[in-house]
Amino acid sequence: MDPNLEGSDEQQRRSEIYTYEAPWHIYAMNWSVRKDKKYRLAISSLLEQYPNRVEIVQLDDSTGEIRSDPPLSFDHPYPPTKLIFIPDKECQRPDLLASSSDFIRLWQISDSDNGRRVELKSLLNNNRNSEFSGPLTSFDWNEAEPRRIGTSSIDTTCTIWDIEKEVVDTQLIAHDKEVYDIAWGGVGVFASVSADGSVRVFDLRDKEHSTIIYESSEPDTPLVRLGWNKQDPRYMATIIMDTSKVVVLDIRFPTLPVVELQRHQASVNAIAWAPHSSCHICTAGDDSQALIWDLSTMGQPVEGGLDPILAYTAGAEIEQLQWSSSQPDWVAIAFSNKLQILRV
Amino acid sequence: MAGGDQDQKRVLEKLRKQLALAVRSIQWSYGIFWSISAKKHGALEWGDGYYNGDIKTRKTVQTVEVDTDQLGLQRSDQLRELYESLSLGEVIPQPKRPTAALSPEDLTDAEWYFLVCMSFVFNVGQGLPGKTLAKNGTVWLRNAHRADTKVFSRSLLAKSASIKTIVCFPHLDGVVELGTTELVPEDRNLVQHVKTSFLEGLSEDFPDVPTNSTDLDCEVLDHAITDCGDVEVSSPESSSGDFADNLLREESNNLIDDIDKEASQMMSWQFKDEANSNNGPNNSTSSSDCVSQTRENHATAVPFSDVKIHENQECNNSNNNNNNNNNNNNNVHYESVLSSLLKSSSQLMLGPHVRNGNKESSFTGWDIISCCKTHTTTVGAPQSLLKKVLFEVGKMHESYRIENGKKDEKNEEEISKPEVDEVDRNHVLSERKRREKINERFMILGSLVPSGGKADKVSILDHTIEYLRGLERKVEELESNKESTEVESTTQSKSHDAIERTSDNYGPTKTDNSNKRPLTNSKRKACDLDKTGPANRRVRLKDSSTDSVTIKISDKDVLIELRCIWRESVLSEVMEAVNKLNLHSQTVQSSNSDGIFSMSIKAKCKGVKSASPSVMRQALQKVIRKC
Repeated sequence: MDPNLEGSDEQQRRSEIYTYEAPWHIYAMNWSVRKDKKYRLAISSLLEQYPNRVEIVQLDDSTGEIRSDPPLSFDHPYPPTKLIFIPDKECQRPDLLASSSDFIRLWQISDSDNGRRVELKSLLNNNRNSEFSGPLTSFDWNEAEPRRIGTSSIDTTCTIWDIEKEVVDTQLIAHDKEVYDIAWGGVGVFASVSADGSVRVFDLRDKEHSTIIYESSEPDTPLVRLGWNKQDPRYMATIIMDTSKVVVLDIRFPTLPVVELQRHQASVNAIAWAPHSSCHICTAGDDSQALIWDLSTMGQPVEGGLDPILAYTAGAEIEQLQWSSSQPDWVAIAFSNKLQILRV
Repeated sequence: MAGGDQDQKRVLEKLRKQLALAVRSIQWSYGIFWSISAKKHGALEWGDGYYNGDIKTRKTVQTVEVDTDQLGLQRSDQLRELYESLSLGEVIPQPKRPTAALSPEDLTDAEWYFLVCMSFVFNVGQGLPGKTLAKNGTVWLRNAHRADTKVFSRSLLAKSASIKTIVCFPHLDGVVELGTTELVPEDRNLVQHVKTSFLEGLSEDFPDVPTNSTDLDCEVLDHAITDCGDVEVSSPESSSGDFADNLLREESNNLIDDIDKEASQMMSWQFKDEANSNNGPNNSTSSSDCVSQTRENHATAVPFSDVKIHENQECNNSNNNNNNNNNNNNNVHYESVLSSLLKSSSQLMLGPHVRNGNKESSFTGWDIISCCKTHTTTVGAPQSLLKKVLFEVGKMHESYRIENGKKDEKNEEEISKPEVDEVDRNHVLSERKRREKINERFMILGSLVPSGGKADKVSILDHTIEYLRGLERKVEELESNKESTEVESTTQSKSHDAIERTSDNYGPTKTDNSNKRPLTNSKRKACDLDKTGPANRRVRLKDSSTDSVTIKISDKDVLIELRCIWRESVLSEVMEAVNKLNLHSQTVQSSNSDGIFSMSIKAKCKGVKSASPSVMRQALQKVIRKC
């Protein structure tokens, strides 16, 4: 598919849009949050073969060009399902990039003067005995407690890792079916979505319980993505498989969505809460659109449903969306083999 | 004209607040302002009203401390809304519903009275207000509930609402009516006081009663929740509604037709709403209303919503008690999760300033036209890449793992050998317990079905499947042969009884004497029993209805035969008892035909010395006689 449709061309001419073309279809993508690494992103390929690639790319402010950094590119066994940079704004720790696939891998990025390379720092393998541990669908790095990474797996479990000790903190059988996404809401609280159609909230202080706070109205319609509003943990958003709506939940009022965002013309693929505002969310989908919504009015019912405030049309189905938390004016999207960073 | 309307409105609004203040200050139940009807010349109709009486659902819900001013005004508004929605009748019931915060079954009798008053129209000289207007002077009516309907047309209603005293006096162009449940002797001063202090002059100093719309919304939700509860125990409520309906019929001369019919429709919508409440659009709006409310007070708001959850469940399945308990526990748990979460995180409310002011945004303002125009119809499956990541990538790993098998696993183990953290010990323990339980159940299952000696889970399940299929076949066979066997069995039953009796006593006596009785003997007995067939036993038991337990012990081998009336848990209870007797069951055969459960267990004694046969028998008899 030709990504350079007229619509996006026109937009590109008159506003700040930077595009990077990778040699492969991009799926996973993440912004570095480090202060000293502005405009740095990691992207990875989605190829149905053993060798896959991860690249670190950087926007050069002066030339307006996004460039890959070949010494910092590396092979990855099968496609990563997600990439996250270490949540370390103040640069107090070594720069790490985590990837999930069969296991969680932590890659240490060194780009000092005495060498620029990426090394596999650790491989968090939950496969400690012969029992089969399923591949990971997603994971989330706990911003409040960066030792903690939570993973979701097709084997119905969520696993919480202590990445410093490289040990499993907790493994929970979280759902009745495959777990598709996980998100932290606080130091010890996370939520997960699953093929069983439920959103469940877990508290690490009491692992025996979980609370189902939403179930898709059609039984067993999988929920595929979950985003927890970091600015205001009362809200989370989830994507239902094969639907064009995004369901926003208030965790205090289980079972009923606060609002359903239904202005996409096709299925939604990604959601991202604004890192700097408690009431803005960006959604992107198969209709090639990225929409930004203002949810500050969600208390009041709106005739015909809420409208987004801003829209961007990309050249193809948008597969991935990440809002930069270090520079909240910037949103990155991935469609086809392109990475675009957009000014909000 | 429009300006005049607005003026009228403002006057009414002011009057309303004055009325509220007046009624509250004298602590009467309600105040109504009857104004000159715009439609019917010379008639008085409902202008405005303030309800200050008892509220039924208040105590269960009203944990939020709201100003009583607001509450009263809200309640009055809600009553008006309800009246309007009732009188509108058919007009799009579903979306209309949530706007009426109250439903008929929520109302106290006094509120019903107040509500029904809204439907009255008085000609000059007719009814109490009409008379007051004609007379242009105060009318004080005591014992309103016993008044002649010619004097006071609403006396029946007043009776139901226990309204005893009513005062009417002209005010502006209309009539103010005040009512109370107390019997108050005529007191000109009171009227004067009300007139001067509240209805005239002082209106400027009058404290502004907020009619904040979000507050109203909260109320709406609260009552929507309690509606649910009220339906559960609806008989008294609905009867009060019926009562009011009857009254309506009696006084129908002034009423809008069919109001009672509509009221009952309202109730049925109510049910519909509850059925849909999981995904109905109505409810999504009401839940969003909660948001605004709980900014003030979420400690109380959370239980509200929880109430809603399990009441929904109750509506679906009437298996309340367990549900409630579980829910309560879960609620407590979840509340603590919430409180920790919401407390620990600083809630930044930055407001809507996403857009960067100076720089050109890549985004454009959203509008429906451009959105539809730019939409390119997507070929291919929706969420294709996302699905590939979720469904396919996992399979890639699995197939890789199978291909590379053990070699790979070994390598991986060498790379990292994670150990369980201290913190996790509890969870690991509980997980281990769970596994142990599962394994235990597998062992029981394995001992229940004849196995080929293999003890792994898969073969246990295979054997179980096979065995169950066999049993099903047997049941079919037996059922098809039922009639013939029944004829046969009567002839055989006698001999079988004999065997049974001997075997019954046989175990304890013999084994006491010689513990090392050869096993072959008992096997023969078992064969004998088998020959007689299940149909026999059934007949025998039908006749005598006694359960039987036979125990044969040789060395460490124990053979238990028992039968009893079948009930659901008998198998597991027997197995449990067997386990408690320190026996390790090796093979178990059981059958259930026509309600008679029979079972034979071959077991080994686990300990050094087995329990005495009589003890075993007693234990087992206890189990099977439970029913």
